[in-house]
Amino acid sequence: MLDIAFVKPALPRSGALVLPLPEGELPAGLARAAEEATGGLLSRALDAAGFKGRKGQSATLWAPVPGLARIVAVGIGKPGELTPEAAEAAGGAIAPLVASEREALLAADALPPALAAHLGFGAMLRSWRFDRYRTTEKEEDKPKLERLAIAASSVPEAKSAFAPMRAIADGVFLTRELVSEPPNVLDPAEFAERCKGLEKLGVEVEIMGPKELKRMGFGAMLGVAQGSAKEPRMVVMQWRGAPRTRKQKPVALIGKGVTFDTGGISIKPAGGMEDMKWDMAGAGAVVGAMAALAGRKAKADVVGLIGLVENMPSGTAQRPGDVVKTYSGQTVEVINTDAEGRLVLADVMWYCQERFDPRCMVDLATLTGAIIVALGHEHAGLFSNDDELAQRVAAAGKGVGEQVWRMPLGEAYDKQIKSDIADMKNVGGRQGGSITAAQFLQRFTNGRPWAHLDIAGTAWSSKDLPVAAKGATAFGVRLLDRLVAEMAEEG
Amino acid sequence: MLGIRFRRAAPDPALPLLVPVEEGGALPEGASAAADAARFKAGVGRLLDLPAAPRRALVGLGRAPGRLDCERAGVAAARAFGSVPHLLVEARSLAPAQAAALASGLALGAWRFDAHRTRQEGPRLGRVTLLAEDPAAARAAFAPLEAALRGTLLARELVSEPANHLTTRSFAKRLEALAEFGLHVDVLGRKRLTRAGFGALLAVGAAAETPPRLAVLRWRGSFDAPPVALIGKGIVFDTGGVSIKPAGGMAAMRADMAGAAACAGAMLALALRGSPAPAVAVLPLAENAVGAESYRPGDVLRTLSGRTVEVVDTDAEGRLVLADALHHARTAFRPRAMVTVATLTGAVVRALGTERAGLFGNEESLMASLAAAGEAVGEPLWPLPIGAGHRADLASEIADIRQCVPAGGAGWAGRFIPDASHAAAFLRDFAGGAPWGHLDIAGVDTQEAPHALGPSGATGFGVRLLDALVAARFEAPDHHAAP
Repeated sequence: MLDIAFVKPALPRSGALVLPLPEGELPAGLARAAEEATGGLLSRALDAAGFKGRKGQSATLWAPVPGLARIVAVGIGKPGELTPEAAEAAGGAIAPLVASEREALLAADALPPALAAHLGFGAMLRSWRFDRYRTTEKEEDKPKLERLAIAASSVPEAKSAFAPMRAIADGVFLTRELVSEPPNVLDPAEFAERCKGLEKLGVEVEIMGPKELKRMGFGAMLGVAQGSAKEPRMVVMQWRGAPRTRKQKPVALIGKGVTFDTGGISIKPAGGMEDMKWDMAGAGAVVGAMAALAGRKAKADVVGLIGLVENMPSGTAQRPGDVVKTYSGQTVEVINTDAEGRLVLADVMWYCQERFDPRCMVDLATLTGAIIVALGHEHAGLFSNDDELAQRVAAAGKGVGEQVWRMPLGEAYDKQIKSDIADMKNVGGRQGGSITAAQFLQRFTNGRPWAHLDIAGTAWSSKDLPVAAKGATAFGVRLLDRLVAEMAEEG
Repeated sequence: MLGIRFRRAAPDPALPLLVPVEEGGALPEGASAAADAARFKAGVGRLLDLPAAPRRALVGLGRAPGRLDCERAGVAAARAFGSVPHLLVEARSLAPAQAAALASGLALGAWRFDAHRTRQEGPRLGRVTLLAEDPAAARAAFAPLEAALRGTLLARELVSEPANHLTTRSFAKRLEALAEFGLHVDVLGRKRLTRAGFGALLAVGAAAETPPRLAVLRWRGSFDAPPVALIGKGIVFDTGGVSIKPAGGMAAMRADMAGAAACAGAMLALALRGSPAPAVAVLPLAENAVGAESYRPGDVLRTLSGRTVEVVDTDAEGRLVLADALHHARTAFRPRAMVTVATLTGAVVRALGTERAGLFGNEESLMASLAAAGEAVGEPLWPLPIGAGHRADLASEIADIRQCVPAGGAGWAGRFIPDASHAAAFLRDFAGGAPWGHLDIAGVDTQEAPHALGPSGATGFGVRLLDALVAARFEAPDHHAAP
């Protein structure tokens, strides 16, 4: 993992020098110093390369002066208009350009210290990779850069701005790791065990196994789990960070954690089924968010609950047509065993609101393919029974570059999940499939303010993104962190 | 259409009687026992038959009923009194606007498409007499509603017509007949389309026996301003072409011209109520057939705009004909705003079901006006995104843009294509920066079951919405004018 260190501005003697450059003139400081050290070669070479400082542009000068391996220029757009999000994207663009160097200095001395921190945050997020299972990769193909030094105009200010980002990055990386792990390694028990790791950050972690779940009556969740040899788990995480003087109801985060989803008896087509290892990305995001909040000592009370199961076809598997009794007492006719996420969430959500009396519940789930048909991969679907909460979730997402798009709910959609023999059925047909899934969940909110994020299109990326290499994105961690910050830590 | 009259007195006291009642309002004498027994609370559209001869029934209007509540009540009542030839309505307790809306609902609910039935199946609701304190005031309130109503019923009829009866030619003829109401109608045939370079429309219609057409309907309005342009997809039948559709359900594809029908209906509504707003409808009509002249997946077409399009799937033909129509609308009329209406994608049905149509656009205030108009008339929309990624997905290796994204990309997610957003991203390129809104009505043009505003079958979705949009946004000459 790339480490970030903030240093006083001084031209490096070796490795790479990275210059974030705005449009127009070279900024004062290290950029000008580099121009002098190269005898004007820097600006001539940038001109020749057509580099204008526009966002997304970059140019590399090899061995511009003795000792220095390269100067990398990265465009940051019009001077003075760099936003935190754009700074992170620029940082993300820098990471792969200098990954093969042993040392690199990023010259952010002409920018406000907070933006220097965002540059570092972006570089750090983008450079994460999952190579636990590579055994034959050649040394020269591996990234070498372990520490990116960032020259800042004020080192203490940049450091203090970066401290919470480091904690958030740790949460993001935890999530990405959980999401990337193969399903033979990360089963429900192993997932729960890894949640225990949060105890060292001060999070209380409780793990419940099949016995407790059965005793409590988690019929829907157990129905999903019964086809697998792997036992289900529910993990309850509590972070009590609110000052004694400002105690309030906790914010509740709930995640779908299907460690592998074959679809069960309603089995999925073979093509692409390997992707179903990340059908626990909602739970992964909740765990990462708890780690981020605890890591930065968030002044809020937050509970995180995840339901962990594996959905397998077998002689003991749940059948289409089965009726299960949820923890809430409501019954569900299982029409399609591949609509299992909502069954797991139903029990966990009801339990959550009953035990914690939360001020709001936010659930994250890779719930439906239909949400990709509706929105694609740039937005997660947002469903909510509370306009104010929905607005807050959307604002938090916008603020951290994890965009959500509000989708409708309504009585007409709710009718689609009426069952002939039970209180409801678990699918409402192809039409409006993400909405009917959300309607199902809404029946387990007990009227609490609730928001549901369908992250099936955003949890995993088939191409590189500004601050995430292709693969697990950890979508939701930063959004939840920001939501808690703005909702529960203000004032 | 249902014959509707407003009268001060009943022509015949022996007629079956409908009594609208407000929630919490007074019930007619002798009705409270039945209402209690049946738990009738006068919710919108709830009906209660009273033990009486001639037949007498209450219909609920809900609390403080507005236009839409009264219309819904009327639709429900028409359903209940479907076999009554002449219905009397006690509307003397209603405001003129409420009585008018109730009448509009009765007509929406009583509509049937009988053009191809050769036998009558018993009596039908044919006439309604509404008793009003001030019949003239009720009639005046009914006039604008009747315009939208007639437009809606025109659209329903066109959508219901099967494709062997509604060919591109006969569709164009029926549009030409709207000249009677003051619309100026011009139909471009194959020659003119070829000369002008409608490459996309011509390709889509190439394999069909009846050739493609572009129908242009103009309403002059009463002030001098650029028109609002309505652009409707008019695929009279969609086999899918070479990328042929599965057989199951293909019959529904006779409705693939519902966008054009909605625009035509809206133009009729504007004309009938003498809207001051200049308006134009540009309707590309074609049949997407399979034949030796079919265009193919892989073809590159040169659209009217000069832009080239790589065809990926001949069943994504709607966006192609709309691309040419949008460009024509924009360049020929310099409109202050453009709205495309189309049964465009299955994806929008996957996304929103059959309750709401998808709303896209390039200008927030126009989109807000469209959404508000839809809510007001009971044709609700829901906004969906056009993201940078959606447009980027349309990059073609050999042409300026590709028409859609092939299914079956990488991994589990490759099965799921946000085609409604892709289609909208495609169309946006041809809107050329003019204020543009787009309604993907694939899920709402036809309903399988009776719904709040009509019987099962064609809905005429969009007519009332577009009429309300024009009334709310485009009937002042300078307000919201395009820069």
